[in-house]
Formats: sequence, structure tokens, C-alpha cells
Amino acid sequence: MLVFLDTIIHYFYFVMTGFFAILLLKNLFKREKRKGLIYDIVYSYVIMVFILRVIGIK
Amino acid sequence: MKNPVYLKILFLVLSGILGILGGIEFWELRHYKETVVVSEDFTEKIMLSEYLPSLKGTWGDTPIYIYDSGVPGGSMLILGGTHPYEPATSLAAYVIMENIEVTSGKVYIIPHANMSASTLGMLGNAYIKYYHIETQWGEKKYRVGDRGTNPLDQWPDPFTYVHYPSTQNLAYQDIRNLNRTFPGRPDGTLTERISYAIMELIRNENIDIFFDFHEASLMYPVVSTYVAHDRAMDISMMAAMMLSATQFPMKSEASPKNLRGLTHREVGDFSNTLALLMETPEAFIDRVVGRMSEELMLEGKDEFLQTAAEKGLVYCDYDINEGFPDALGNMIIGTPMDYRVGRHLSGTLEALNWMNQFFPDKAMSVTFPNYVDVMTNGSGYYLHDPSKADPSRVFEN
Repeated sequence: MLVFLDTIIHYFYFVMTGFFAILLLKNLFKREKRKGLIYDIVYSYVIMVFILRVIGIK
Repeated sequence: MKNPVYLKILFLVLSGILGILGGIEFWELRHYKETVVVSEDFTEKIMLSEYLPSLKGTWGDTPIYIYDSGVPGGSMLILGGTHPYEPATSLAAYVIMENIEVTSGKVYIIPHANMSASTLGMLGNAYIKYYHIETQWGEKKYRVGDRGTNPLDQWPDPFTYVHYPSTQNLAYQDIRNLNRTFPGRPDGTLTERISYAIMELIRNENIDIFFDFHEASLMYPVVSTYVAHDRAMDISMMAAMMLSATQFPMKSEASPKNLRGLTHREVGDFSNTLALLMETPEAFIDRVVGRMSEELMLEGKDEFLQTAAEKGLVYCDYDINEGFPDALGNMIIGTPMDYRVGRHLSGTLEALNWMNQFFPDKAMSVTFPNYVDVMTNGSGYYLHDPSKADPSRVFEN
């Protein structure tokens, strides 16, 4: 049972990472604050970290 | 001011290209297989999940290689790769696996005790992913892994890691450190389950002597040392004295009772085996070293560490210029891979010799290359060509 719960929590974190990747993607295109070009670069770059984790690469 | 959408897409594409390039490297390391040609005395390969079925199909499952002489005698378990960023441990295990002769007793070898941790690199410091060993027939390539279990396999880490069963609070990241999770539990995290399965192997197979191979930074006091559980102290002290007199400097230290989760403490406490851990000097993992290259991994020569040594800040002999002499008259310059592998080989043989003398009822007869052999011929000399070997003796890890 504990192993099962541990597995659920483990995968939940992957789902959560996917959610944040989508959130970051949305904010890349639509955001109210910090609209400078540098923030576009930061958003684009940071999204990759989340994507690599979601697809089980890193 | 609103930035044009095409620029956002351009940045995303550029980041994606970087992500793909990086991702390919991460994927390759995770899936790269090392080959080993087992010696003629090899009898069977089983998986660790045989001792804990919940490991099956996970990256915590790892091969166990068995060499059974069929003649009554003691039994020995060797762990390499408990911390995969200490690669001389797995290489020493491979040299043993490819050359061992067992005339009495039974030997179990796990070259990658934490398989998951061997499938990713260390964060930061631009750690190398692989190292190469020259052999008579070409180069062999091996992984350099991380210290802890891959977060892809065990995640998230807690704020505080409470060790089971002692309830001692340890650093959060140590919940993925195989040498902090012993004796483990069958329903714990992946790393705790690996520990538990290894404990089950030791208890079910009545392992008489247990070796956990490690490497240490030179600024860590326990470098070049046996760390022995209470019952193995006599063996470790005699072996350390003999090695220091005849081969290379070796210290002996008692396993502390108040530091939980480590193999030399928990394996001894939770089984009847004689538990020993060995540390060799690995300059690569010292905090003060400069560029972390494959050359540093294989030769261990670093000018900053040399300065630290000159200031008396390291706990073993170290000289990158003229070297220091071992008991055989070899000049050891830096901390070369062959020196570290040889230390593990002779460290095992010498401890085994003293177990045979102190506990004749557990005696076993085992031979494989030792420190002198490896220092003379190099580790690569003892690694065989998989393309020319009998396919039934070639395995991948």
C-alpha cells in the first residue's frame, strides 16, 4: 500500500510539472507584468526544464 | 510594449533546440550499457528483485552475478557503485567479475548497487558523463553517475529525511543516498527498497563477509580507509597493517554507532555478516579542484588540491609532481584510476585472508588480480573483448 501511495505521489509530481509547463507557456504569450524581451527568453528557457522532466529525460 | 509573437516563438524554438541537444545527452547516459565478460567461474546472474519483487521493472532493480565453486566454504558479497560518482568501485567490481577464480565458497557481485543513480550525471561542476579505459583490444567506455538515486525514479525529496528505523534526522537529499538508507524497508522509497533487498540477499544467502566499495575526497578524513563494523574490526585492523606494510597506505576505522543508514553500521547490525566499507582517494570529487575533466578522473592530478595537500589539508598522501612511494617502490603521482582500483582489489583480498584466519569455519578460496597486478599492467589489461568472448559470458549493465 505504501509503495502504491509513493508511486502515486511520484507521478503526481510529474503531472504538476506538466501543469507548470503549460502555465509558463501561457505566460510566455499572455502576461500582464514583466513584458520585456528578456522575460520572453527566460520563460522560453525555463519551460524546457519542465518539459524534460515531464517526458522523463532529466 | 508588447513583443511580437514571432519573437516569442523564435525564443521558444531556440530553447527547444537546446533542450533537444541536452536531452539527447541525458537520454544516452540513462540508456548506455556497459559490457562485462564474466570469468569462467561464473555460474548465474539473477536480479535484485528476486529478494524484493516490488523492485521488478524499476530502475532500482540491478543484476547480481554469482560465482559458486560448488565446494563448501564461506560466502562474500561485493557492492560496486553504491555511489556511482565514485567509478573506481564499479570498475574494480568488473575487474573481479572478469577474472575471478573461486575454488571454495560462493561470491556475489553487484557492480551497480544503485543502478538508478548510475543513469544521470552530477548537477553542477560540469561533471563528465563517461570515462574510458584503454585495453589491449581498444577502449572501454563506462558511465560516471550521480551520488543519489535519479529523481526521475524517486521524487520528491522531503524537507527532512527521517531514517528508518532509527528515526535519526538526516539531510533531505540523503533519502536518495543508498549509503544512508540501510537497512531499508520493503514498503519504503525506491532507495530504501534497494537497501532492503540487499539486506534480504545478505540474510537469505548467509553472506559471511560484505564489502561496500567507495571513493572519497582527499579532504575527507575517512579517505584510504577500511570502515568496519564491530565484528569486522579485527579483520580490518590486521588487513590495514599488512597492506600498509606491503602494498599501500591503508587506515582502519570503527563504524560510528550514532551515524545511521550506512552499510558498515546497518548491514552489520541487521545481519550476521562481517561488514566492511573501503574508501579510495578520488581527487575528482574534492571541492577545491579545478577543471573536472576525464583526465582528472583518470589521473587525479590537480594543482589546487596539491596546494591543499601542501597546507596539510588532505588526509592521505598526495603529490602531483614527484609522487609518493608505495610499499613496493612505485611512485604514485596524483590518484590514478589503476591505483584506486588496485586498492579495492587488494583491500578485498587482504580482508578475506584475515577472515579465513580468524574464522576458519567461514574460510573461502578466491583469486583475482591484485594491486601489484593492476599497477604493473593497468586495469584495462584485465578487461576482455566482448566481441571475441563466448556470448553466454557477455552481459550488459
